[in-house]
Amino acid sequence: MADALTITNLSFSYHSYQERPLEPLFSNLSLSLDEGERVLLLAPFDKGKTTLAKIISGVCPKYFPGTLSGTVHLFGTDLSTIEPWHLLTEVGYVSQNPVEQFIATTVEEEIAFPLESLGLPRAEMSRRIEASLSLWGLTHLRDANEGELSGGERKRVLLAIQEAISPRFWLLDEPFDDLDLMWRVRLKETILAEGKTCLVLASRYLSDFVDLFDRVLLLDEQRIVELPLPEAIERFSTLSGDDRPNPLLTQRIEAHHQATLMADDLTVERRRRSTATSPPFEMHVDSFALHSGELVTLTGPNGSGKSSFSRLLCGLDEPKGGSILLNGKRQGTKELNRSVGYLFQNPDLQIFLPTVEEELAWSLRRRRERSTKEIEAQVGDAAELFGLRLADTPTTMSYPKRKALQAAVYYLLDRPFYILDELDSALTYHSALSIIASLRRRGSGILLITHDRTFAAKVGGRAYTIEDGRLTER
Amino acid sequence: MNTSAYVAGHGWLYRFDPRAKILLMVLLCVFFFLPITLTGLALTVLLVVVVGWRNTGGKNIARVFLSIAPMLLFMLLFSPFNVRSGQSLWSVRSLTIITVEGALQALRLACRFIGITYVCTLLFATTVMGEIMLALRFWRLPYKAALVVTLSFTYIPFIAESFSQISESHRLRESAREERKNYAQRLKDLLPTLTSVLVVALRSIPNLAMSLEMRGLGRSERRTNYRSLDSYTHLFTDFVISIIIVTVLWVLCKA
Repeated sequence: MADALTITNLSFSYHSYQERPLEPLFSNLSLSLDEGERVLLLAPFDKGKTTLAKIISGVCPKYFPGTLSGTVHLFGTDLSTIEPWHLLTEVGYVSQNPVEQFIATTVEEEIAFPLESLGLPRAEMSRRIEASLSLWGLTHLRDANEGELSGGERKRVLLAIQEAISPRFWLLDEPFDDLDLMWRVRLKETILAEGKTCLVLASRYLSDFVDLFDRVLLLDEQRIVELPLPEAIERFSTLSGDDRPNPLLTQRIEAHHQATLMADDLTVERRRRSTATSPPFEMHVDSFALHSGELVTLTGPNGSGKSSFSRLLCGLDEPKGGSILLNGKRQGTKELNRSVGYLFQNPDLQIFLPTVEEELAWSLRRRRERSTKEIEAQVGDAAELFGLRLADTPTTMSYPKRKALQAAVYYLLDRPFYILDELDSALTYHSALSIIASLRRRGSGILLITHDRTFAAKVGGRAYTIEDGRLTER
Repeated sequence: MNTSAYVAGHGWLYRFDPRAKILLMVLLCVFFFLPITLTGLALTVLLVVVVGWRNTGGKNIARVFLSIAPMLLFMLLFSPFNVRSGQSLWSVRSLTIITVEGALQALRLACRFIGITYVCTLLFATTVMGEIMLALRFWRLPYKAALVVTLSFTYIPFIAESFSQISESHRLRESAREERKNYAQRLKDLLPTLTSVLVVALRSIPNLAMSLEMRGLGRSERRTNYRSLDSYTHLFTDFVISIIIVTVLWVLCKA
């Protein structure tokens, strides 16, 4: 069989803001894939999976400056001699973070854009767009804007784009992230489709990968090793620290907070700005309760309203009807803002200062309740608890570190309740569980939103699910 | 990373041909700078706002107004001082602070600013981006220039959206004491929010460039268009209506 991808002695390191090379992500990495082969590459978070995907797509170091040595050949073409637009039908890349790949203002136009670049006739474009919208359950969202989609819907749009282009080589970076069970099954069918050459880069949903790939590779200490799936998973678990004991199982909780957050007969209605024809999104919550020190998980299909419900609980939105009660007393949005900490999925929307120390101290200084010394001590303790260095610059820190900083900021706010929106996305189980344990140690109640049932099982506690616009306890 | 300014609806502006809508937008923007009476200018702006309200809803109209309110406030506060001659409106002893002419000029500037903002916003609020691209191409704008125009107009709502999300995040970090913040403190608090918005915006630039090239922008094949403007069957009529609207306004409002 012909070589689809050949990477020879690849080394890469990013540049710092001062244009100095940072620690290398790979050294002399080599890899080859035959045409028609399906390969899984496991790598712990933050070890260069996404960078490798961008190098194979021809956009790194072009748009993400760094020092690269070695060669990458795709279907025999040296990528250093070719521009990314020539690879449109050669490699289809689905990013771990779908937001970064959106360029058009509706789902339909998003899928049409690359087909227009290929110069396809309108009838052919229409046929391909209809087929991919239908395959990925997006027909009703064709006019929707990216901002109106849930994380899973965004991921499905990116997969629908690749379906429409039908590239020779599929390059999927954490493709199972954000997808609910039904769409994970559809993705497996897509990967297994005959004749597909596919490289999946992953660090989660490992149990889904049985019998899906021809080969399993592991990025181990900057080298690639080939292993059978069970051994790869075991080694991966060690590399990412997931074989360590679950910190929630042995945790002792201080009874600092004693409160109950309840929702009673809540109704939500939300219209999409981009479409006048589709019915408004509606959700109903008969009853919901979260007690201090409790761990509760919330699951549900993509676009079912998990984030909408979270926004109500923390007072960012007002419900159409019903009430939210704290210790039996009805709460307004301002009171909820101060009682329920909401950790957004994207930490970059919640951190903004030049150093970790300033970020952690910001809220404490503004409260003017403690002396400078006390604030310094609190900030130091929080940094130690969450494994942060006070002098680091948040914008240049890795994603897991930024996520930890976001959690540390909220830890210092000492809210009686926290909502963690897809905390486990792009974090190892152990890192995510450690963050939950830290936030819960003073007795805060935790509501965790996740798609990953393995992770939900590790967290334990009561479980709610949202389906068909209704929240129920399982 | 793109957020659309489009608001779905069924009003007559949605049925108006985008090519004629661009012409009407340009003519109205020119009209605002013609020698017309202040009353005429104000009434025309009011007419544009009412048309916008009927077509896109009061919420959208209010949102646009809120987004320009700070700049409008600065304009009204500071531009009257630019005109030093004329009848005194407010003076302290012998020093004239504001003249009648200065105040009128400030009002005229504000009306133009509101008018241009709403005229441009209504184009993007009532036309999907693909059709704006085609309409710009009809007016002989090269593809890449049309793409830049449409991307810029999706980037502005994207930044506004990021600003609102980051503000929400800051709100969640406030304490009860901070609810009673004065205006100076609130203004000071804008700085970290704006810094975060800037970081988010800067980070999105390489991603946008990457995605455009990955989707084939730059290929040598002639691009085709998925959308067409064939569903708009009254182009000539809409052109004529656009010209009549502006001509009638000119006749009624000229100084």
